[in-house]
Amino acid sequence: MKRKATGLMLAALALALTVVPSVSAFDFTEVENQVVEHTLNNGLKVLIVPRHEAPVASFVTWSNVGSVDDPKGYTGLAHMFEHMAFKGTTTLGTKDIDAELKAIALEDSLFMKLRAERNKGMLADSARVAELEEQYNAAREASYELVVPNEFGNVVDREGGVGLNAFTSSDQTVYFFSLPSNKVELWMALESERFLNPVLREMYKERDVVAEERRMRTESNPIGKAIEEFLALSFKAHPYGVPGIGHMSDIMYYSRLEAKAFFEKYYGPSNLTIAVVGDVNPKDVIKLAEKYWGRIPYRPAPERIATVEPKQIGERRMVMEDPAQPVYLAGWHIPEITHPDRTAVDMLMQYLGQGRTSKLYESMIKEKKIAIQVGAFSGFPGDKYATMCLMYAMPSQGHDNYECEEEIFAAVEKAKSELVTPEDLDKMRARAKASFINSIASNNGLAMQLCQAQQYYGDWREMFKQLDDINAVTAEDIQRVANEYLTKDNRVVVMMNTAKS
Amino acid sequence: MKRITTVLMVCAMLLMIGAAALHAQDVDKLNYPKLNPIQIPDVEKVTLPNGMRLYILEDHMLPVFNASVRINVGGYLEPADMIGLAEMTGEVLRTGGTEKWTGDEIDEMLEGVGGSVETSIDRLSGNARVNVLSEYTDLGLEVLAEILRNPTFDADKIDLAKVNQRSGISRRNDDPQQLAIREFLKVIYGPESVYARHAEYKTINAVTREDMVAFHDQWFHPENIQIAVWGDFKSDEIIEKIKQYFGDWEKGNVTVPEPPQVDYDYDQHVYYAEKADVNQSNVLVGHLGGLVTDPDYADRIVMNSIFGGSFGSRMFNNVRSKEGLAYATFGSYTANISYPGVFIGFASTKSETTGKAVKEIVKQVEGMQNNPPTEDEMRMGKDGYLNSFVFNFDNRAEVVNRMMNYDFYDFPEDFLAQEKEKVEKVTPEAVVAAAKRNLHPDKLRVLVVGNKADFEMPLDSLNMGPVTEIDITIPSGEEKNELAITPENLARGAELIEAAAVAHGGTANFAAVKTMNVKAQVTVSTPQGEFPFPIESTDVLPDKSCTIANMMGTKIYDIRDGSKGWKTIAPGQIGEKTEEDILDEKKAQLRDLVWVFSHLKSDPYFQAVYEGPGQLDNKAVEWVTLVDMQSETICRLAFDPATKMVVGRSYWGSGMMGGEGTITESFETYTEAGGIKLPGKVVRNMDGQKMAVMEIQEMTVNGDVSPDLFNEPTL
Repeated sequence: MKRKATGLMLAALALALTVVPSVSAFDFTEVENQVVEHTLNNGLKVLIVPRHEAPVASFVTWSNVGSVDDPKGYTGLAHMFEHMAFKGTTTLGTKDIDAELKAIALEDSLFMKLRAERNKGMLADSARVAELEEQYNAAREASYELVVPNEFGNVVDREGGVGLNAFTSSDQTVYFFSLPSNKVELWMALESERFLNPVLREMYKERDVVAEERRMRTESNPIGKAIEEFLALSFKAHPYGVPGIGHMSDIMYYSRLEAKAFFEKYYGPSNLTIAVVGDVNPKDVIKLAEKYWGRIPYRPAPERIATVEPKQIGERRMVMEDPAQPVYLAGWHIPEITHPDRTAVDMLMQYLGQGRTSKLYESMIKEKKIAIQVGAFSGFPGDKYATMCLMYAMPSQGHDNYECEEEIFAAVEKAKSELVTPEDLDKMRARAKASFINSIASNNGLAMQLCQAQQYYGDWREMFKQLDDINAVTAEDIQRVANEYLTKDNRVVVMMNTAKS
Repeated sequence: MKRITTVLMVCAMLLMIGAAALHAQDVDKLNYPKLNPIQIPDVEKVTLPNGMRLYILEDHMLPVFNASVRINVGGYLEPADMIGLAEMTGEVLRTGGTEKWTGDEIDEMLEGVGGSVETSIDRLSGNARVNVLSEYTDLGLEVLAEILRNPTFDADKIDLAKVNQRSGISRRNDDPQQLAIREFLKVIYGPESVYARHAEYKTINAVTREDMVAFHDQWFHPENIQIAVWGDFKSDEIIEKIKQYFGDWEKGNVTVPEPPQVDYDYDQHVYYAEKADVNQSNVLVGHLGGLVTDPDYADRIVMNSIFGGSFGSRMFNNVRSKEGLAYATFGSYTANISYPGVFIGFASTKSETTGKAVKEIVKQVEGMQNNPPTEDEMRMGKDGYLNSFVFNFDNRAEVVNRMMNYDFYDFPEDFLAQEKEKVEKVTPEAVVAAAKRNLHPDKLRVLVVGNKADFEMPLDSLNMGPVTEIDITIPSGEEKNELAITPENLARGAELIEAAAVAHGGTANFAAVKTMNVKAQVTVSTPQGEFPFPIESTDVLPDKSCTIANMMGTKIYDIRDGSKGWKTIAPGQIGEKTEEDILDEKKAQLRDLVWVFSHLKSDPYFQAVYEGPGQLDNKAVEWVTLVDMQSETICRLAFDPATKMVVGRSYWGSGMMGGEGTITESFETYTEAGGIKLPGKVVRNMDGQKMAVMEIQEMTVNGDVSPDLFNEPTL
């Protein structure tokens, strides 16, 4: 019984391997039809999906501003503002708003004087700097005295909010948490107010926190270091090349005034989308949105960035040494997400580097065992503008970046000369479908996806078209984009080799 | 008219803002509709006749089938010299194939339908997860059953698991936070504890396929397995399907030992691990934690929330917001079900504020005992827990997995509801009492991972007990057997070598060897398959040698002439040997039987130490360790106890594909020439995996040798 007849085994295997992805597809239009869309007069877009499985709801505020919008000399400002959006409002987080605003004004004016003096460099008057530092530190502590720390977070916590957080990426800044579904009004009130009357209190203390975040993510982390170098090398004109966390000297330079100006420019209601998914009644949600978010006056949405990364004219390569074990990154310039080639590029990346049966996994991990991790994906660091696709490898012990590079390039060349098989295409379609279904299982996941489609395509419905797009891509399309984009001149390589001690 | 309109508009605006502006205290005045009732879905429990327990929950929102499996097994059950056995078994279970399919075929089948089945074995449990679209429920279940019941542990996938483990070890000090948490667990539970220990090269190398097969056979029985399923199915139908795949699995009878107790003595101690390439320290402060079943668990839920569990906790407010010392900071008195958790306060702070961060964390710990929670803090801790209670039931996966875990530990099904009632009654006094009972601010262990050159103060000036530096250097996998170099063992070692020299042809014949020529066929095993090539080696004793291998028409040279030498460094490229190369050859002389048999008495730095009986390829042997005290090298020789022939050896060396490991050679046949017998067929393994086979085709002793052989080769 242990070993069945080989013939039978092969027959069973053949059956199992040819399971045809079913055509009795899940009806996505059912989900699509449940989405309720509403636009306020001030331009704010509201997306709602009622789901009554449990009495909870997830809330997302999706702002069409990311670190790509950081002003020159103020790298990291979008991320800094994200931190400041948790510091409260004129009514939340203060012991006495009038006194506090005065204290804040004094703190700002002293900081501006201090930084102007410091910024003279070698010509700075050190006695003057010391004197200003003393005054500024005193003002900073004085204004802190008037703060009720983290009151915004406290209110969310005690009312039963979970998952309170936010992230800043190159393209967007996203704020989110979930509440019991009877507290929709609480979210509306709290969330709208922080984009109506934010007070950027504790700004200069929070900069130290962000500096620690930079040390943690980038300076003390080998992969973080390699990625920062990769982006800088990839973009010489477009701001995608600037680190989202910001350069340390910029973090220590910017003031509350710049953060406030940034908010004014980018956080107008017409640049925001909010989404509510859960046990809610869309009519009530719209009514509350009108009441609370309607308070924010209309401001025109900022323009897109006009800078276009010039065509790369030769491979860019950087080799660095670090005490850590090796890391390999190779990227190629590809177009933004709305470009017709992108679906084929995304599938090419999946074919090469996603899953246990992808080409890189099979050759580098299973067969040659020269790497313990490999992958390929597109849309790094963002998708709104022309961007990069990225392949990476972590060489296994005793192997190095050069061996990995050889395999990666060989796989790329093969993708250019050979068509992916019909089975591979079927597999990619099946995986896309399954991962799409899994991704909308959670309220928060669905809310985020709707907002993302709304941002990139100006229409959340695009979210439901991605599977059709994937099904329309042919093997020839994938081969064509491989030849068009994965060229040597279009390539950027960063390798971190282990320093000999 | 215009003015009036403007005034009115301003009034309207003010009114609107006024009406809605939200003060913290106003939040209480918002009128919320009643929360729709929390429907706690009923999990159906079924026990199969073979003891396997099922937890079933329908969920028709999406066309998906999910399963989550808990296996009563864990890393705590593996022997201390094989740490990694459980984890690798957990990996190869899935990758190494089953009686019906290879692992690669399973990959193809699952990815072909966008599904996944993954397995792992952690310290205290084994786990499997299935996720497939519901139309492939049968496929998911069959793969799961095959993996759990009939895994075949393919040797190549064991290799892969070992490559993963070794690479993980080599990378384990790269990420400072990962490093810090690993070492902190050792600081609290002890480095040998099953709750903290981790694999080393040595423990990975020690694991064989047989160990994995035995580990699986020992613990994987249906009565040790629970399966939770949720998704788009009808309960009675899914139960039938599960019976179909698991019903005929026979019950085992094994008692799984309980995880061990933890011994802990509270003390004050500072530990430091040097990471010179960072500008930020990871600071961890704490001691042992508690159990979920402790009577004051509910008080500690509130205590944790106030101490360091969220935005607005004391750690967050002070370490992060007020002092700006850290981005990442938290604190918690954690609890487990079967063994005590840890109490931990954490911050990652720039090197220059390391001491300050330690002090600030200690201050917050003390504060939990001395400063009772404020009304706002109680609201955050208590109301937060109670108001978010509904999120315990907002998705089916959580509900059904929780039931499975509760059942494993014999917890009441309404454990959460009981805790909720207790939390409702927690008072500020109870929080302070819990802090006084459980926290020991005067007996804290501190771990700092960072670069002390940049600290603003030396760690001993913290006055928190002795400072001990933890060496995080990754130990090489080389076996360090404690040799008992006693006169008896030296005498027995020498005796065995002499007896072996006789068995191999006699000392006189070995002493008479002046030149040797050997032609052999070498077959190396590579991931691409077996790869044969011829090799010829000529020696003029004591220090001239010439080895030429012919790989696919390219000659690879290795030449030594006294203190000089040359070798092929790349195809078609000859380079002079470095001092390091010459030294390596000196180290390798212990692996040369001709040298060994003729030098035991004449070389004062050479010793043979008898180890005792042992095994090689499942055959009884006697081991002797040869020691070259000059080059600090060892090589272990295995002797046939009856014939005294050398049947194999073991030493530390480099592999074909890079990386170092324990190399073991078995001698399967012998070749005779000039009155001496040398190994004729040698099978070489590295860490249990086949590396190469060498077979001598012709051997000549004291034949003529051209002196030109030892010149620098010309290409």
